[in-house]
Amino acid sequence: MKSNIIPFHAPTSSVTVRRLHADTITLTRDSHAMLTCTISGDALPYRGVCALLLFPISRPDEWVSLRFTDATDKDREIGIIEDLRAFPEDTQQLIRESLARHYHEQKIVSIVSIQQRYGQLFFKVRTQRGEEEFVTPWRQDRAEDWGTSGRVLLDALNNRYLIPDMNALKPRELRLLRTYIYW
Amino acid sequence: MNAPASSPSPLLRQLPAGFDALHCEFEDVLFCLPVDLTLNGETTSAWLMVSETTCAVAAMQADAVMVQSGPFHLDHADKARLLQTVGSAFLQLRIDGVYVNVARFSNGLREMHGRGVTQIKRLLAGDAFQDEALTSKSETICSDCGMALPAAKAPCPRCTRKGGIFTRTLGLMRPYWSSILMLLGAMIVGVALDLVPPILTRYLVDDVITPKANLHWLPWILGGLVAAALFSTALNVLIGRTTSFVGTRITKELRERVQTKLLGLSVDYYNRNSAGSLMSRVMGDVEYFQSFVSQVAQGFLLNVLLVLGIGTTLFVMNWKLALWVMVPIPFVLLGTMIYWKVVYPRYYRVWDSQSKMSQSLHGLLQGIRLVKAFGQEEREQERFAKSAAYVQASKRSLEMSAATFNPMMGFVFGLGGLIVWNAGGRDVLDGHITLGTLMAYFGLLGRFYSPVQSLSNFSSWVTGFIAAGQRVFEVLESNNQLEQPEQPKTIKRMQGRIELRNVTFGYDPYAPILKNVNLTIEPGQFVGIVGKSGSGKSTLVNLVCRFYDPQEGQVLIDGVNVRDLAENDLRKDVALVLQEPFLFRATIAENIAYGRPEADPISIVHAARAASAHDFIAKKVAAYDTRLGENGAGLSGGEKQRLSIARALLTDPRVLILDEATSSVDTESEQQIQEALAHVCKGRTTIAIAHRLSTLKNADVIYVVDDGRIAEHGTHDALVESNGIYAKLVKIQTELSRLEAA
Repeated sequence: MKSNIIPFHAPTSSVTVRRLHADTITLTRDSHAMLTCTISGDALPYRGVCALLLFPISRPDEWVSLRFTDATDKDREIGIIEDLRAFPEDTQQLIRESLARHYHEQKIVSIVSIQQRYGQLFFKVRTQRGEEEFVTPWRQDRAEDWGTSGRVLLDALNNRYLIPDMNALKPRELRLLRTYIYW
Repeated sequence: MNAPASSPSPLLRQLPAGFDALHCEFEDVLFCLPVDLTLNGETTSAWLMVSETTCAVAAMQADAVMVQSGPFHLDHADKARLLQTVGSAFLQLRIDGVYVNVARFSNGLREMHGRGVTQIKRLLAGDAFQDEALTSKSETICSDCGMALPAAKAPCPRCTRKGGIFTRTLGLMRPYWSSILMLLGAMIVGVALDLVPPILTRYLVDDVITPKANLHWLPWILGGLVAAALFSTALNVLIGRTTSFVGTRITKELRERVQTKLLGLSVDYYNRNSAGSLMSRVMGDVEYFQSFVSQVAQGFLLNVLLVLGIGTTLFVMNWKLALWVMVPIPFVLLGTMIYWKVVYPRYYRVWDSQSKMSQSLHGLLQGIRLVKAFGQEEREQERFAKSAAYVQASKRSLEMSAATFNPMMGFVFGLGGLIVWNAGGRDVLDGHITLGTLMAYFGLLGRFYSPVQSLSNFSSWVTGFIAAGQRVFEVLESNNQLEQPEQPKTIKRMQGRIELRNVTFGYDPYAPILKNVNLTIEPGQFVGIVGKSGSGKSTLVNLVCRFYDPQEGQVLIDGVNVRDLAENDLRKDVALVLQEPFLFRATIAENIAYGRPEADPISIVHAARAASAHDFIAKKVAAYDTRLGENGAGLSGGEKQRLSIARALLTDPRVLILDEATSSVDTESEQQIQEALAHVCKGRTTIAIAHRLSTLKNADVIYVVDDGRIAEHGTHDALVESNGIYAKLVKIQTELSRLEAA
């Protein structure tokens, strides 16, 4: 089998943050739709690059970490983009696609019903993709804070259901939710 | 509507229906797994098909098979992995040095694809395909009803239904049935006695006072009233004492049961539940059970008996008047139902607020030195004020509901009394009933409305009880325990040979911390483990102590898998000294003898001397009888650590694990502890995790853990010579020491 494994070459010292600028990086998509990142000054391009947000709630368009897996299967950071909007449209598009692959959650638009049976909560909700049902144990670790007024509900299998703003729910729905998710 | 994530489609051993177009490519298909997301995250209903040579993802679209990803030829790939992202996961193949996305799926299909990846890895490694591994029983979904389980391997709450909180509480009352039956008997007699005074009053008014006749009946009637009151008082004493006896015993035993259960739960359970929340269950929620017997017996059963008994008497005396008495009852029922619905959630909020305040205070008191050091008293004051305000708001909301509800009910009952005055007064004036009957009626009316009002208040207690009971049973019925062997193996005299064989483990099963770790430690060896923070060093010893079980591979002690080993043997022969020593609020001697309470004084002194703790203990006024404060308050970090080493030594363990045992103490204390350790490690297997590499110079073998793998191993000199990760760490530390000295 042909091998073209990229050895990891630390771009900077491990304690400093490497900021990536629009004029020094080029992003392209390879034949398997994976991102390749070329940085002027670095000897080799980084392949299989993915992006994630360092402040996904408070700054969803800023502080994007570009990462790749090195030859020893270690996850490495190439550098950080401070403001995505400062990058060309096509680069932004590629990074946003990569971010979309990193995050997957359903946004709850409204709550139809919640029933509690044998210590489990049975939710019927409307999300951006239609009406859905899920079941989750009635436990505190199943609902996490999301920003100042949002909540993420995790079902029993750890699928994520986001309520971006609890106050945006109808009073009846909020009352119903707070009957069970009271913490 | 999308299907709930709890019912994924099963795997197939052949191509899905309609996929014939792919028959050439997947003639020898091994398995097909459902895929519910496209690589871009849109919902799909596709299949991952895996054959000996190829894999691909395809779906039916408008009666045609559309390949969504691939085909990927396995001979172009050298590795496969499951990459967990936020809310979904990818199956990836490493092709030409880069991990390529093959399939994406929601977390509901993660377990199934995790097994699929294992098989693909086997195919890549040239190993035989294991069909049965794909079809073994799911750990996350109930095989009978298809519902997602509350935790991996947990019993299905639907299939193992245990009834409501009250049914389960009644189960707890089984040992006290005789006392409870006696209570019921006493209450029935009490109800009968309650009927006596109004009836005697009726005779007194109608047959003695009004006609001014039968005066010789007077002492007998008064005597009857006194006797009824005496009996009633005696019964109340009996009922009160019995309910207190049963209630306090139940609370004590339940508290012990919850605590015993908590001790048996795995470390993982404590990662998911805060100490404050658990404390509030043991201290506060259990308290509700004390009043269960009195509330159910006196608050419910007695009142039901009174309502039935007195209600029947009212109807017998005058059914028309009795119907007027019933007028307020529907309003009371309606009011109670509304109250229940409104108040029920408020109980949870009160509990949550108290639990959070207790957590906040606990954290503050634990970190008081840090708060002072950073001058953050004001900030902490504000933070606590917020917790206190939350408690105030939630309690106020609850109590205001009660403060509104109860007087309103009082008003409704008052109206009932006025209605009876009106109707009964007319009847007396019209001569349909006597004044004595009306007086007796009013006597009974109070006795009738009072239990009805108590029953409506009972709903308030029930609401709180259900909330508390839910939390207590959640602990009691938790299944978060490591599986214990049915026939545990015992090791008569542990030698201390430790072997990790192909161990893979992650706190999240799909994000491994340790990856295929192999190492062998011979009996009596002194082994050092080094590596960066988060590399997996402590996880490794957590597995040796069996705080967790690995997802793959085995941990063996003297050739026996720790899963098969009797827990007592393991705890008796494996001792752990942690970076932050924990000392109990007890004497120094009791703390040292924690693992061997029967130890005689000389053994305690021996252990203390071996741990270089004896001299500082002896200098204390009460020496070994010195009572320590909260977590050893009053001792220095080094002293606490030496006590914890002495505690470990007293059990004479065959395996001693030191997890950063000297990293939180000063250089002088470290030197003393090192001297102690040099002495005590002789003759026993010792695993020492250390950041300060100088402490491991004399180790027989040093393992360097890097990103969950054993990257290097050898003696200090050999590793320095090999110029790898360890040599780099040594250079950094030498440089740091030089800078510190300068």
